[in-house]
Amino acid sequence: MAVWVVWRANNHWALSENSPDKPEIVNCGPVMYWSGRKKNVKKRRSGAEFLDLEAVVDSDDEEEEEEGEDDFIVHGGADLQDEDDGGRIRRRPLLQGDDEQEDVDALARKIQQRYARTSHVEYDEETTDVEQQALLPSVKDPKLWMVKCAIGHEREAAICLLQKFVDKGGELLIKSAIALDHLKGFIYLEAEKEAHVKEACKGLRNIYSMQVRLVPIKEMTDVLSVESKTVDLAPDSWVRMKTGIYKGDLAKVVYVDNVHQRVTVKLIPRVDLQAIANKLEGINVGKKKAFIPPPRLVKIEEARDLHIRVEVKRDRDTGEYMEVINGMHFKDGFLYKPVSTKSISIHSIQPTFDELEKFKTPGDEKDEDMAGLSTLFANRKKGHFMKGDAVIVVRGDLKNLMGWVEKVEEENVHINTKIKDLPKTLAVNEKELCKYFKPGDHVKVVSGVQEGATGMVVKVEGHVLIILSDTTKEDIRVFADNVVESSEVTSGITRIGDYELHDLVLLDNMSFGVIIRVESEGFQNLKDSNFPQVLKGIPERPEVVLVKLREIKSKIERRVNAQDRNMNVVSTKDVVRVVEGPCKGKQGPVQHIHRGILFIYDRHHLEHAGYICVRARSCSVVGGSTGKDKNGANLLTTRSDGLRASPNILQSPRRIPRGPQMEFGGRNRGGKGQDSLVGRTIKIRLGPFKGYRGRVTEVKDQTVRVELDSQMKIVTGNETPRYGLGSETPMHPSRTPMHPYMTPMRDPRVTSRRFRICLFNSNDGSTFVANSYVEKAFAA
Amino acid sequence: MDGSVAQIPTSFGHELRACLRCRLVKAYYQFKESGCENCPFLEMAGDEEAVGSCTTANFSGIISIMDPGRSWAARWLRLGKFIPGVYTLAVSETLPDDYQNLCDDYAPPKHAR
Repeated sequence: MAVWVVWRANNHWALSENSPDKPEIVNCGPVMYWSGRKKNVKKRRSGAEFLDLEAVVDSDDEEEEEEGEDDFIVHGGADLQDEDDGGRIRRRPLLQGDDEQEDVDALARKIQQRYARTSHVEYDEETTDVEQQALLPSVKDPKLWMVKCAIGHEREAAICLLQKFVDKGGELLIKSAIALDHLKGFIYLEAEKEAHVKEACKGLRNIYSMQVRLVPIKEMTDVLSVESKTVDLAPDSWVRMKTGIYKGDLAKVVYVDNVHQRVTVKLIPRVDLQAIANKLEGINVGKKKAFIPPPRLVKIEEARDLHIRVEVKRDRDTGEYMEVINGMHFKDGFLYKPVSTKSISIHSIQPTFDELEKFKTPGDEKDEDMAGLSTLFANRKKGHFMKGDAVIVVRGDLKNLMGWVEKVEEENVHINTKIKDLPKTLAVNEKELCKYFKPGDHVKVVSGVQEGATGMVVKVEGHVLIILSDTTKEDIRVFADNVVESSEVTSGITRIGDYELHDLVLLDNMSFGVIIRVESEGFQNLKDSNFPQVLKGIPERPEVVLVKLREIKSKIERRVNAQDRNMNVVSTKDVVRVVEGPCKGKQGPVQHIHRGILFIYDRHHLEHAGYICVRARSCSVVGGSTGKDKNGANLLTTRSDGLRASPNILQSPRRIPRGPQMEFGGRNRGGKGQDSLVGRTIKIRLGPFKGYRGRVTEVKDQTVRVELDSQMKIVTGNETPRYGLGSETPMHPSRTPMHPYMTPMRDPRVTSRRFRICLFNSNDGSTFVANSYVEKAFAA
Repeated sequence: MDGSVAQIPTSFGHELRACLRCRLVKAYYQFKESGCENCPFLEMAGDEEAVGSCTTANFSGIISIMDPGRSWAARWLRLGKFIPGVYTLAVSETLPDDYQNLCDDYAPPKHAR
């Protein structure tokens, strides 16, 4: 019994069409075959890793035949991935086993027939990836060679090669020549041999065939895979200019000339009529090239007043009458400019509201509005509407009808309405729909220039919402499309480069300041158009500068302390009160400290995002020691405002002056510890409140109340001795300051104790529990 | 190879257009004068409007195919059945529906991709 095995190089597409009982070869390159005993086949199974095998059995033993076939197909199918790796295609030697020669010939003929019959069908099929795999290059195919050519003449070179091929009457042995648009200075030639390439390039001045590089077989397909970009250029779509004085300007396509790849766009003119007038009158007013006139609608009367000749012509393309001034076409004050499609950018143009506003012509406001809508909606992503969304119809017969999305089907959105007479659901084209928000909704802007801002809807004008921004408290106008309902409150754009809003930054000229606002001006796609506003660190004279990102040198992150007018230490988050200067009376937590200058955040301060910049010496820490100023009446009152409810306030006057530590030590010695702590100034040694100082106001069992010096915070909390007897630890004040942290064991000198401290913020009444270590503090 | 070769484009710049069916590249006026050699049924010759709708200037990369039968690149791009000539690697547009129907009627090989 003989088994015929036919190898087909990397073609599993055919496999799927096969039925075991009717082997057929479809769409394959040159067919190789090999014969042998079934035994051989089994041995060769490892070869099937690389190949699709198909068995045609020339025997009467049908059972075996089937068995063999199945095996092969399974193998072939399971290893498709390997096959796709174009470099691994193997061919088998033509023939093995001379005794079967005749049969081989017969089969070869048969295969040839089949191949001939099926191959022309090839192109009828829809191309699938699988099918394309079948066409992967093999070693039998001509190779691709990379040849240098004159930059900018790639197409020309490829076309010349064809011309040469025609002229030489088929003498040229190259198969094809490829010029890619994105690859400058090279073309590819397809040929069997390098000599063919050299021969073909001989005498062509644009091709430098000194260096011919072979493209590896694996990379051949990459050469030919070109991303086809879809360009959708239609009248009324918004574009941006890429070059010239209008660079970056929004323009509207009026007319598209596909043949010549030109479009006519409508622009807001940047025309200096006076300059034109001067030019026409022959006055030479020196060349000021740097000056670009601001965009402004042209008034024809003005031109006439300046004695500029204004012609009225009918435009060939649009058939409309236009005013022509100095070769420029105007209509309704807009400039109509023919440009190449290459000089405009078409993709993902998001006009800002202001820009669209400017494009409105007074007369036909509605039309313009609709045109704006259409582009706006063109940028919508798939799945813009989801079930349950509140929507409103913005155009068509059903305009202003409100409803809820029930179902989305491709372009059509089925909506439910409240109106009883209407059918259950209405199918509306999504282009006619717009998300609906009602005044009072809290929303977040998710795209566009204002992205990230949140606020409350205060007015709805069709598809435009007016939102009261949470941060700036200003009205912003956004498209309903660009917002989602959200309870989130953000401060607009908060990041710019490596910096965040409210960061303290060092500027170029060694000045520093806090970023109080990140403005995005101009276009969303221009990265460096985001200008952070920095409140400069000049006390008493608030100065806000708009800086460029590159002018920011670094972020200042070092935590430093400063001293207030009473020589109290001020650190960040401490609440201070400004006691002199223009900001006198303001009060708030310190956000940043740098070079003795504090940035205080006062939420009642409306300017500069609430930031106040003051010299530390002009402030006093709220609740801080007044130092020598014993009466401190003013300060105490301030503090008691916040702490009125607290019983601790009564203890405040009982503050024991720092200094005579020895005396304390003596008094505490042998005491119960708890009592000894009362009135002491302690410093929290570990945990989130590390470094904070305060006075112990009350000790009860395991509870300690600590009044922090610098913050409007009162500490209540449990004291848990670090070691069972911690509280009994006698104090040796003279020694402890030296080794406050070296307390691994129960050491009589240890003064550290572990407290669970409950801090409560008298500002908002929130409490905070933390495990912390408290140690005694001694006079600095 | 049957000896015939499509017209060779006479310019290399903006005037070039590609047939939306077979991706043959020629200058605009060449299409206008003699239509597309691969797709005579589109009847572009002398019909400026047909040329406008069946060809595009929006294509990317060109390939001069000298020997469509033997060229791997032509096979890979599914241009192996067309006559030698200059073709493009990719077009982004598709034939308008009415012309597409016309192609289907003639049923000859239709390029995909």
